[in-house]
Amino acid sequence: MGLLTLLRKLKRSDQEARILVLGLDNAGKTTILKKLSEEDITHIMPTQGFNIKSLMHEDFKLNVWDIGGQKSIRPYWRNYFDQTDALIYVIDSADRRRMDETGVELGQLLEEEKLAGIPVLIFANKQDLLSALSSDEISQGLNLHTIRDRTWFIQAASAKTGEGLQEGMEWVVSQINDGAGGGAESKN
Amino acid sequence: MDMRDADTARLLWESGEWGKDMYHHELKATVPRRILECSAVSREINFTSQEEIRQFRLEQRVFLAGACIEEWFFDFGFVIPGSTNSWQQTIESAGEDRMLAAEDLSGRMTIETTFLDGRTMLFKTLVRIFYE
Ligand SMILES: Nc1nc2c(ncn2[C@@H]2O[C@H](COP(=O)(O)OP(=O)(O)O)[C@@H](O)[C@H]2O)c(=O)[nH]1
Repeated sequence: MGLLTLLRKLKRSDQEARILVLGLDNAGKTTILKKLSEEDITHIMPTQGFNIKSLMHEDFKLNVWDIGGQKSIRPYWRNYFDQTDALIYVIDSADRRRMDETGVELGQLLEEEKLAGIPVLIFANKQDLLSALSSDEISQGLNLHTIRDRTWFIQAASAKTGEGLQEGMEWVVSQINDGAGGGAESKN
Repeated sequence: MDMRDADTARLLWESGEWGKDMYHHELKATVPRRILECSAVSREINFTSQEEIRQFRLEQRVFLAGACIEEWFFDFGFVIPGSTNSWQQTIESAGEDRMLAAEDLSGRMTIETTFLDGRTMLFKTLVRIFYE
């Protein structure tokens, strides 16, 4: 299972779908994408810009954009919002010290006009670590239940073991498919 | 740039760093012929930019004996100053019936990649593929 298999599940009503992957630095964004493509995850350099994965199946293209999360880069995130079909927000569940910071960043993203109404998947990553907060704890801590203007889902995951990645991505695909069918998007 | 079997992520070919001489030279890539049997192949390009670029985009064409057989246009848009970036594309194979023999392809296929800012060409690379 990987991104290519997911792509084959996408309805092809559009020519292209764009998924944006954001989160604080060190959350595990790049590792998640590499794990999904079954690439080696032992030598990952911090992303200083973007990493894009483009997959093509028949005439349909899926583009996944992973943008670096260091503080100095975050102001540039907004350059990548256009035409996004789904947002994946990755949280390091063991980084309790920065839980507030990641909550603030997520809150700001949800306020962005260009991302309005776009489904958001939250990966509560690094669940393999003993110190990790559970997805329920994160959900409560960040008040995710207050998100009302879009569909959202939090998935416990580990990029290291692969746990939860598949389930999370399946949710994203189902949301994009619903959107393509005129569900979520035609409401406004 | 590198090429991998997309199902196993095994490295099949890797170029060294591209310098300015890429404007004039054609790069030669010798790739194991089993790449033709992979159900999907991925190509990855890594690049660094000191400057901010506003409308970064790329045009990639694969030529066989001078005829374009595959074309990718990709809009990156904004490039962060001082950033290192990567683009990986995964291409499914044409299926066995449309697959060409290594002997027919070797040395006759080139991948041309042009990097642009809007309409201004920044950089162009040409890689000729040989199968062994
Ligand atoms: N234990 C553990 N470590 C992880 C996991 N995901 C990522 N990491 C590690 O966290 C660090 C940051 O990962 P990276 O993918 O570069 O984060 P990014 O900055 O969000 O792209 C690396 O050292 C990874 O090996 C995970 O699920 N469990």
